[in-house]
Amino acid sequence: MSDLARVQELARGALASLERNRQRIDDLNVYPVPDGDTGTNLTMTARAVVDELDKSSTEDRAGLVKEVTRAALMGARGNSGVILSQIIRGAAEVLGSEATIDEQVVARAFQAARDAAYRAVREPVEGTMLSVIREIAEESEQGASGIPALLQRLVRRGEEAVARTPEQLAVLREAGVVDAGGAGLLEIVRGLAATVAGEPLPEAPAEREQLSVAAIHQELSRFRYCTTFVIEGDGLDSDALEDEFLRLGDSLLVVGDPEALKVHVHTDHPGRALEVGTRVGVIDRVEIANMHEQTTQREERLLEAVPDAPAAASGAVAVVAGEGNRRLFQSLGATKIVEGGQTMNPSTADLVAAIEATDADEIVLLPNNSNVILSAEQAASLAAKRVEVIRTESIPAGLAAMVAFEPERPAEENAAEMHEVLEGVTTGEITIASRDVELNGLSVRKGDWLGLADGEALVRGTDFEEVAAAVADRLLAEPRGVLTLLTGAEEPTLDDLVKQIEARYPDVEVDVQAGGQPHYPLLLSAE
Amino acid sequence: MTQHRPHLTAQNTAIVLDSTADFPEAPERFPNWRVVPLYVLFGDESYRDYVELSPEAFYARLRTAEELPTTSQPTPGDFLATYQALSVYELIYSLHLSSALSGTYQSAHTAAAELGGQVRVVDSESASAAIAMLGFAIQRRLERGTTDEEIDTLIARFKENAGLIFTVDTLEFLRRGGRIGRASAWAGQLLHVKPILTIKREVIPIKRVRGNRKAVQEFVSAFTSTTEDASSLKVGIAHADAPERAEQLRKMVRAERPRAEIELVTTLGAVVGTHAGPGTVGFFWFDDRE
Repeated sequence: MSDLARVQELARGALASLERNRQRIDDLNVYPVPDGDTGTNLTMTARAVVDELDKSSTEDRAGLVKEVTRAALMGARGNSGVILSQIIRGAAEVLGSEATIDEQVVARAFQAARDAAYRAVREPVEGTMLSVIREIAEESEQGASGIPALLQRLVRRGEEAVARTPEQLAVLREAGVVDAGGAGLLEIVRGLAATVAGEPLPEAPAEREQLSVAAIHQELSRFRYCTTFVIEGDGLDSDALEDEFLRLGDSLLVVGDPEALKVHVHTDHPGRALEVGTRVGVIDRVEIANMHEQTTQREERLLEAVPDAPAAASGAVAVVAGEGNRRLFQSLGATKIVEGGQTMNPSTADLVAAIEATDADEIVLLPNNSNVILSAEQAASLAAKRVEVIRTESIPAGLAAMVAFEPERPAEENAAEMHEVLEGVTTGEITIASRDVELNGLSVRKGDWLGLADGEALVRGTDFEEVAAAVADRLLAEPRGVLTLLTGAEEPTLDDLVKQIEARYPDVEVDVQAGGQPHYPLLLSAE
Repeated sequence: MTQHRPHLTAQNTAIVLDSTADFPEAPERFPNWRVVPLYVLFGDESYRDYVELSPEAFYARLRTAEELPTTSQPTPGDFLATYQALSVYELIYSLHLSSALSGTYQSAHTAAAELGGQVRVVDSESASAAIAMLGFAIQRRLERGTTDEEIDTLIARFKENAGLIFTVDTLEFLRRGGRIGRASAWAGQLLHVKPILTIKREVIPIKRVRGNRKAVQEFVSAFTSTTEDASSLKVGIAHADAPERAEQLRKMVRAERPRAEIELVTTLGAVVGTHAGPGTVGFFWFDDRE
């Protein structure tokens, strides 16, 4: 075989090995930037070499070295691709300089690859591709009889090195993954080893050996449910069962013996998978997980694993009525919600309990109702933690204040920022009068719409929109940027009101949210 | 009396930017400038930033795309080709997006190593118009004659003092690209909260506010509290598909710092837009006093 044909064959072997692991490696990628493209980048880099060699007719070894080196450099994608291009260069230069290539030359090639890789990176970090090439190079110094034996040895050491990366790099440990670049490099060496030995590439290598269900989940699935169970029976035929399960989904594993089989399948029809089991035996240890949920969780886990996430210095406890409002407070980082409001004031003991149950040493407490402020202050003095009461008299005021809440800051700093925001907020309420009453010179009849601005009765009427528009006008009398409308449990129609406000105040952003609070069909705030 | 004889000029020194500087007209403006594009990928289709995909086409496509694009740094080969085309210049300053946000710097560094000492690769520790503005500051010195020591001092001062503040409509784009870590502390998307952010090597959240009005107020206070009105004060504005917001900022600068020079108003290109998202507005300033 000519040198060119040999190099082409090796490059294709490496590429094929990478390609079948591309998705898995993408999903491992958390370092240096968790953007999930390491597998793709390494594959594209390797493909650039293969493409260049496919076009080549160079037969002299020095020329080949130059072509391979240049193709890798020109085609290098991503940090991992750049490092790979240097590994290829280091190795190629040694391989091209010798008349006969034996195991000693190959060993030296790996050592040169290591040196080139380390030179390429200004601040080498352990637990990455670099540690993997370093360990492989170290292993090559041990020698072996024949190139296939040497490469096999390097693959084994590479597997160990990859498995060790989480011990070396905290971000990997926290995300529960091995290094993506290192894993990719291992697949390249595995591809070379298989090509040299003339063996087919092992199918999905590391996972099969451990039969790790967790590892399989690093791959994305188009099916929704991860379904696992055990079938116990007599003379179970795993091959026949595999065929049946394959019709239902993918990521299939059926392992065990004729008396007991463990089944793992990703499917949209977990019920049918279980029926296959009950037909041939007894099923047990059934687990069905919604993987779309898992994918979201994995995303969150990856984000949390990014270093320098500061620990929470303070928590926020808020008194809130209405399911929608609860969600809004939670979305702004409230750690604990106490149910309550106008007609259902929480007790001081409820508030103390919520404060103590919050996982933070310091607390900001938002009463969100003038009737709750006193019990909030009492709770603050009774609680064992440092508590800052933010004197919010309404839910929309509380939401405005929460925007300035940051868990990384001590409670006192949060309180100062939150009170500053409150100074720029004005609030309103629309309710139905429960009896006849004289308020602020208004004769209010039972059943009337009553509009309040900053706690004072402002307007009464029989038309909801008129009353609401009058309150909005008062709130927007000074220049404001945002008008928030929180609709109550009895949800009013707001389309005309919103159009009217937007027409009159073109610079104001109107934000309508379903708050779900009782008694107040509409709560408003302007800031 | 200067201690060092000026030896760097616009005739013997070139400046290379990557496309995340959002200054595609660089070569037309300055004969000694070049831009190396990053790549934007929609699925398997790869486009060179600005060259094959204009910001306008990008944002139009983003509005209808089912799958969000990804980006890729230039290859070392891309840089090498550009550097080699500039071989008539004695020295090249290659100015790049923060190395904490992209491998572009690493790619440039790898290519520069091929050429010995001809290329100085600079990690701007910043992004977008800030990179172009660092280039402008260097160019001003090249045009009157300068030394590499002076440029080194300038670069250090720029990294230390240049101001950058930006806001995004949603953190989703930064989060998806892995460019922001503290997203959990920055929730509040339900209430259309605007995060105010900066870049010091990494994307760093400053605070969150509700509505554009308050966001602009934050820009004003960050800008005016650290600057005084002077002709040496340089300002850049970059926006992603939000020209009215850029105009608002331009008026603000005219009102607050009338002597300042607005040296760049630009659209965020496809690569920066992929990671920041439509509606992003960035504001940049640097007092380039000698």
